[in-house]
Amino acid sequence: MSTASETVDVPADATASDRLSESWLQRFGEFVIETAIRLCGWSSILFVTGIFAFVAFQAFVIYDHGAVRLWTTLDWPQFLFGREWQPTLPTNPIYGTLALFVGSVTVTGLAMVIAVPLGLGAAVFLSEFCSGKTRETLKITIELLAAIPSIVWGFIAVVVLNPLIIWATGAPVGVNVLNGGLILALMSVPVIVSVGEDALKAVPDSYREAAIALGASRWEVVYRVLFPAAKNGLLAAVLLGVGRAIGETMAVLFATGHSVNFPSTVLDPVRTLTATIAAELGEVEKFSDHYRVLFVVGLMLFAIAFVINLTSDLIVKGIRGQQNA
Amino acid sequence: MIRRGDGATGSMRAPFATLDQALDNIQQTIVQAGEAPRQQLDLVCAHRPNDAPRGGRPRFQYYVDAVPMGTAGDGSEASPWPDMPTAIAELQRLSRDGALRIAPGEVARLTRREPFTTTSLDGKKRKRERVAKSIFMTMTVLLVVPLVAILVYLVVQAWPALSLELLFANPKNNMTAGGIWSALIGTFFLVMTSLLIAAPIGVLAGVYLNEYAPDNWLTRMVQLAVVNLAGVPSIVHALFGVGAFVLASGMGESVIAAACTLAVMTLPVIITSTREALASVPMAFREACWNMGASRWQTIRTIVLPNSISGILTGVILQVSRAAGETAPIMFTGAVFFVPVPDTGWESWLPYGPFDNCMALSMHLYTLRTQIVGAPLSLQFGTAVVLIGLVLAVNSASIALRVYLRSRKKW
Repeated sequence: MSTASETVDVPADATASDRLSESWLQRFGEFVIETAIRLCGWSSILFVTGIFAFVAFQAFVIYDHGAVRLWTTLDWPQFLFGREWQPTLPTNPIYGTLALFVGSVTVTGLAMVIAVPLGLGAAVFLSEFCSGKTRETLKITIELLAAIPSIVWGFIAVVVLNPLIIWATGAPVGVNVLNGGLILALMSVPVIVSVGEDALKAVPDSYREAAIALGASRWEVVYRVLFPAAKNGLLAAVLLGVGRAIGETMAVLFATGHSVNFPSTVLDPVRTLTATIAAELGEVEKFSDHYRVLFVVGLMLFAIAFVINLTSDLIVKGIRGQQNA
Repeated sequence: MIRRGDGATGSMRAPFATLDQALDNIQQTIVQAGEAPRQQLDLVCAHRPNDAPRGGRPRFQYYVDAVPMGTAGDGSEASPWPDMPTAIAELQRLSRDGALRIAPGEVARLTRREPFTTTSLDGKKRKRERVAKSIFMTMTVLLVVPLVAILVYLVVQAWPALSLELLFANPKNNMTAGGIWSALIGTFFLVMTSLLIAAPIGVLAGVYLNEYAPDNWLTRMVQLAVVNLAGVPSIVHALFGVGAFVLASGMGESVIAAACTLAVMTLPVIITSTREALASVPMAFREACWNMGASRWQTIRTIVLPNSISGILTGVILQVSRAAGETAPIMFTGAVFFVPVPDTGWESWLPYGPFDNCMALSMHLYTLRTQIVGAPLSLQFGTAVVLIGLVLAVNSASIALRVYLRSRKKW
């Protein structure tokens, strides 16, 4: 038997010639598709740099009858630290983004105060305290929460939360920091839950088993073992939530009241960087100073988002490196 | 009048006069005579003979545990004494030092723990665990309740407007009446065009990242770019769309420019889910195929892609839902407040050419809310409900596909 299997009759020449005959076209086809795959793979880099380049181009390059020059008349100290945003003044419009920046930061901050405990709590509950059908149902529900479009959140902010806030606090208007914070909290919670849950799931089960064997309760496992072990992943979850909240546009356009203002309480209306672009870009004259300033604000947002994403990515990659070591 | 309450013969009737005497007696009977130690030993200070000890918690509680916990036992629950003789000796010492003193009606109790008995510490732990669990559950419920409440509220408010006419009629009377057909078909056009652009690029990029990318700095950059592309605010995508597609490419504000902007924005969704789907195909499948002499691309085409197609579809469907809901990226690149659309005939199904302006559902809700004076609230609610319904239906399809896929997975 063994000798028979060793002497299988293979027409070696035939196979080789078959291969040769089809290899021409095939190899060319494969070259084409593999090049396409590589190009598409690298395209993300192209798009990110493209976003930066095109927005910067719109902001700073003046293309005037074939001559190209840079737009240099922006008053940077005023742009960064000016407290007034009055782009429509007929003479000497003022482009100070500090109030807008503060608006973005306060609304995002309030949203995080609400969303981080809720989001991480829900992540812990989903990953450690429930299982099976309950877990799947809750996960799907939270996923659906993420699917609701931002314009609908804005609509909800005006027609549902606005009267609720007026009724509950007696404030004259219900579109304010509180409203924006609540809406952004609900919008950014799904990110925090799913990334946070991934971080908790990434902690090896042997850690949990070791802790339980030593007599720890499940709460002690969470508090003493999982939190320290998944610290970086949870931090990344929070950062991604911040990124989601600070970049949100349509919802805050409706929810925050849209008046340039340094808020002193959560019941003051504010205006954010994103909402300013959304509200004003449609009205400005193309390539006017105001138009360019809006693109500079866009660059600012791009930079903020870039830093947040880079940091969270480095943090997550940091844990992977440690775990491999 | 100290007596031993452990049921020793005659002790109720003939109590000891002092605590020290009682402890001496215990030492003689238990430690020296080797009498079998009892589960629990109560030292009760009674008012009179035959007085039943008062209920409630003993003033002093000491523990003996054969399994030593900690080194220096002090008789407490957390670090019990190792055996009975030590316990009695320690109690005698405490009594001599004046640390163990019981007033009439009070009890000092010495408990001998069996291995694995529940201690009050365990009870406390379990209680704390229950509290923690219910807090975490409340947090989760707090996220789910608003979602359900809002959905119900929106549907109730939109009820008068919900009808087939809402879906299939065009806006009338300056958009204060009629339906949302022209916006609905506009969203459909935008989403499909963006899908046509994003799906091939995204899937191929996912294939690159999972199958081709070497472990080097370039791949690292690509991954970083995908993460950042997903994190760029939608309004910045809009600015990019204006700069790159509307102006630089000369598309003008059109369906195609808006669709390109949406495609770039939703690309990371497809890339990430394609990559995950490919990564879930076991390495052994590929190795088996390579061993048959197949090339890399042949392996991907015949083995990897067929085995991950449902996962890839999930990502593509998610892209659709994401693109359908966005407003900011399209409001400056192609979507406008109003475009007259024919009410009947084939033109009502193909109202927009690639270089025309179009309406979109999300933009329509924005328009109704901010631009139209006297748009009835029920119409606004109706539009919002149709938009949510559309997005949630698409999302549910993706979830259903994922669940089905998981149930069918053979490896």
